[in-house]
Amino acid sequence: MLHVLPNPVPWYIVGPLMGLVVAAMYAVTNRHLGVSGSYVQLVDAARHRSIEVWRLWFLGGIFIGGALVALLGESPQAGLNYGILSQHISLGALIPILFLGGCMVGIGARWAGACTSGHGLTGCSTRSTGSMTAMATFMVTAVGVTWLLHLLTGGSI
Amino acid sequence: MNRLHVFSLLFGTAFGFLFSAAGFNQYNVIHRMLLLHYLDPFLVMGAAVAVALPLIWLLERRHWQTPLGGPFAPRRWPAERKHVLGGAVFGVGWAVTGACPGTVTAMIGTGSLLGIVTLAGVLFGIALRDAVHDTVADPLQAPRHDAPADVVMAGR
Repeated sequence: MLHVLPNPVPWYIVGPLMGLVVAAMYAVTNRHLGVSGSYVQLVDAARHRSIEVWRLWFLGGIFIGGALVALLGESPQAGLNYGILSQHISLGALIPILFLGGCMVGIGARWAGACTSGHGLTGCSTRSTGSMTAMATFMVTAVGVTWLLHLLTGGSI
Repeated sequence: MNRLHVFSLLFGTAFGFLFSAAGFNQYNVIHRMLLLHYLDPFLVMGAAVAVALPLIWLLERRHWQTPLGGPFAPRRWPAERKHVLGGAVFGVGWAVTGACPGTVTAMIGTGSLLGIVTLAGVLFGIALRDAVHDTVADPLQAPRHDAPADVVMAGR
């Protein structure tokens, strides 16, 4: 909105600061930074199970962080814009595709125990072999499927 | 709201701000990364781990006492089949939506309506996996770990 923040902010600024956040959160709270756990709490709460409240505050922070970037920089994906997907796929088809894709993200994150943040970033930083295995699988599968979609759609996606 | 909650909110805000500033909450950025056409996200992740890993190693070696959580105890999981099987399902969903649980949250924070559809799918997927896991004995999955100290009952 204000366009004072470059899009994107260069990797050599964001990356080291992100690593500091991971380490500082561990050093202060002794908690493993990861996002999918927050959504597990929401599902658990709906099923009247006990929950870890700090994870919901953490999740609220992620939302605020995204909103701050939109405020200071830009929000290229506002409203019904979903990048090149919404340019090539009608809204009626895109909604079920995103829902089913989201389902696979949810099933996979719950199954593997964490997602790209909990395994990929924090788990790799604690030298957790399960996390490294999960992150390598995330990457190899996602690159393979992305290229498959790219070739099947004649390069339009 | 206690001190743990305040710090969780602050660290969450910093984390969400940073990965959104790098564009991770945009489909096009993740898609071009997964096509291997745009490699900066790998550099972001690599630089983050390169900073966090030695710091965590040092804190553990020095037997650091965390102000809010007792003796520093980084969590680790041995590699199991679930990491490959769950990881593969996750990878397909990640490729299709260009989003993971963190980035979709920040995507909605920037005003994305279709991000809400992806998030609804993520929540449904977690609930579905839980429901199946609870009703079918699953030899691949380790038992559920109970949550640590700050657990409260739902609804409080």
